Amino acid sequence: MLIAMSIGVASVIIFTSLGEGAKNYVTREFSSLGTNLLIILPGRSETTGGPPPLLGQNPRDLTLEDAIALTKSSHIRYVAPITVGSAPVSYGEKEREVIILGSTPNIFEVRQLSTAQGEFLPEGDPSKGAAMCVIGHKLKKELFGNITPLGEWVRIGDRRFRIIGVLAKKGQSLGMDMSDVVIIPVASAQALFNTSALFRVMVQASGNKSIEKAKESIIRIIRERHDNEDDITIITQDALLSTFDRILTTLTLSIAGVAAISLLVAGILIMNVMLIAVSQRRSEIGLLKSIGATNSQVLGLFLVESALLSFTGALLGIIVSFIVIWVFMRMVPAFPVTIPVWGVSAAVGIALSAGIVFGIMPARRASMLNPVDALSRR
Amino acid sequence: MIRLNEISRVFTVGEEDVHALDRVTIDIAPGEYLAIMGPSGSGKSTLLNVIGLLDRPDYGEYYLDNVNTTELDDDRQAFIRRHRIGFVFQFFHLVPRLTATQNVELPLILAGVTPKERKERVKKALASMELTNRSDHRPDQLSGGQRQRVAIARAIIMEPGVILADEPTGNLDRTSGMEVMNILEGLNRKGITLIMVTHDPGLSKRAGRRIQMTDGRVSEDTGLR
Ligand SMILES: Nc1ncnc2c1ncn2[C@@H]1O[C@H](COP(=O)(O)OP(=O)(O)O)[C@@H](O)[C@H]1O
Ligand SMILES: [Mg+2]
Repeated sequence: MLIAMSIGVASVIIFTSLGEGAKNYVTREFSSLGTNLLIILPGRSETTGGPPPLLGQNPRDLTLEDAIALTKSSHIRYVAPITVGSAPVSYGEKEREVIILGSTPNIFEVRQLSTAQGEFLPEGDPSKGAAMCVIGHKLKKELFGNITPLGEWVRIGDRRFRIIGVLAKKGQSLGMDMSDVVIIPVASAQALFNTSALFRVMVQASGNKSIEKAKESIIRIIRERHDNEDDITIITQDALLSTFDRILTTLTLSIAGVAAISLLVAGILIMNVMLIAVSQRRSEIGLLKSIGATNSQVLGLFLVESALLSFTGALLGIIVSFIVIWVFMRMVPAFPVTIPVWGVSAAVGIALSAGIVFGIMPARRASMLNPVDALSRR
Repeated sequence: MIRLNEISRVFTVGEEDVHALDRVTIDIAPGEYLAIMGPSGSGKSTLLNVIGLLDRPDYGEYYLDNVNTTELDDDRQAFIRRHRIGFVFQFFHLVPRLTATQNVELPLILAGVTPKERKERVKKALASMELTNRSDHRPDQLSGGQRQRVAIARAIIMEPGVILADEPTGNLDRTSGMEVMNILEGLNRKGITLIMVTHDPGLSKRAGRRIQMTDGRVSEDTGLR
C-alpha cells in the first residue's frame, strides 16, 4: 500500500520530469540550429508546419539551381543546400561508414558550426565540386588519433578528398551527431551519390521580421522554377518548435494522467488498509470512547493516520523518483531532465487528497462504532 | 449521585427480543461501594455500560448528578465519560503499541491538557500504583496485575467521581487480584464511588452494598432503603 502510493507518486514525478526533459531537449536542439531558419523540403505536405513528409512522393526534385536561385532574395541571408548520404570513409587501414553531408560554406552559418582545426569549405561556385572536406571530431579521433589530419587525403566511396578542417565538439543537433560526419561541397556529394536532387535546403532569413517575407519569396521563386507548382514544404523553426511543444505537452499530461490514476488506485488501497485497521482495532476504538473520546476525535485520529500513511508513501515516492532521475541523468547526460515543481506538487497533492478522501470512509466507520460492541469482542 | 429509573435495554437477536435490563431502578449515593452479582447473561455488564454512558437505555431515565443523561447528545456524553467516569475492564484494554505512560496519558490528551501538566499527572498516578519503574514498558512487557494497575491509573487520571469495574480480577491470579482489590477499595475510601461486577461471592462480601441480578432484573439489593 505504501509501495503502491510511492510508485504512483514516483511515476507522476518521473514521467513529468521526462516530459519536461524532452521539451527542453527539443528546444535546445532547435536553438542549437541557429536562428531565423526555414527548412525547405521537396514535396507538398498537407499540414503546414507539421512533421516533414518522410514517405512523400516527390513530384519534382529540389535542385542545386533552385537553391542558388533563392540567394537572390533580399530577405534571405544564407542558403545551405544539403545532400545526405552515407559512404565508407577510409584513411590507410582504417575505415568507417559515416554520414556525408554535401553543402556549401553557408551550412556552417546555418547550423552554427565552428572548426577546432583548419577551416571551413571555401566560398566559390557551388555547382563546382572540389575534392576537400571538413570532418567531425569523433571521426578525426577514430581515423587519426591525436595526429593533425589537416592536409591528409581520405577516401570517401571511390573518390579522394583532402581534409581542410575539423569540426569543434558540439554534441547532437537535430538528431544528427555532428561529430561523426564528413562535410563536402554539395556538387561533389551529388557526384558521389550520383544524384541531382537535394535532400533539403536550409535557409536563414535576413532577420527575425523577414521570416514570413523570406517564406513568400521562396514559394514565389520555386513556383516560377517548377512550372507554377507549389511542390515544396517550408518548415519554419518557430512552427516546428511549437508543434513539438504541443505534442510533448499532450504526452506529458496524458502520462501524468495515467500516473494519477495509479495514485487513485493507491488511494483505494489505503482505504482497504484503513478498513482492516479499523476492524483490527475495534477494541482500541471502544477503549478510546470509554475514556471519553468524542466521535469527531476518533474520526480525526483515523483521518490523520491515513493522511500520514499517504504522506509517507508520497515521501518515499519522491525519494524513489529523485533517485531514478538522478541515475537517468548519470546514464544519459545529454538528455536535459528537470524535475518540474508542478509535477511534484501535483503528485503529492493527489496522494494526500487520495489518502484523506479514501480515509474518510474507514474513519467514519471507526467513529460510528458502538463502544460496547467494540469492547466486548476481543 | 446516580439514579436509574425504570431502565430497560432490549437487544433484538434474530426474531427474539432479549431483555438485558428490565425496568431496573437503583439509586447509588456518592462514595458507595457496590458489588453487582449474578449469573452470566443476567445483564451485569449491560447495567455497567448504561451507567458508564457507553450504552443508551431503550426506556427509562438515568440521572447522573441530577442531569438527565438520556437527553444528552453523544459529545456531551463523551465529555461526562471523560471527566466523571473511570472504567476498569476484565481484559485491561490497554493500547498494545503504547507504553504504560502513554496509555495513562490518553484521557489527558483527549481532554487537551498541556504536555507539561500531563507528564506530572501521569507520573503521580503511576507512582500511586507503584509502577514508576515500569512506566516505559509496553503492555506485553507487564504482568496481568501490572497491566490492570496501569488501567486503574488511566481510569483515575481525570479524577472521576465514579469507577466502574467489570470483573477487574476475572483475569488475574489470586495475589494480583487481591492487590487490585486493595487499590480499588483504597480509592473508594478516598470518596470515589466504586461499582464493581464480580462473580466471586467472597469478593462481593467486602462491598458495602450488594445487588443481585437475575434475567435483567434486580432480584436482591442489600442497600435498598
Ligand atoms: N450487543 C448485544 N447484542 C445482543 N445481545 C446482547 C448484547 N449485549 C448483551 N446481550 C445480551 O444481553 C444479555 C445480558 O448480557 P450481559 O450484560 O453481557 O450479561 P453479563 O455481563 O451479566 O454476563 C445476555 O443475554 C446477552 O446475550
Ligand atoms: Mg459481563
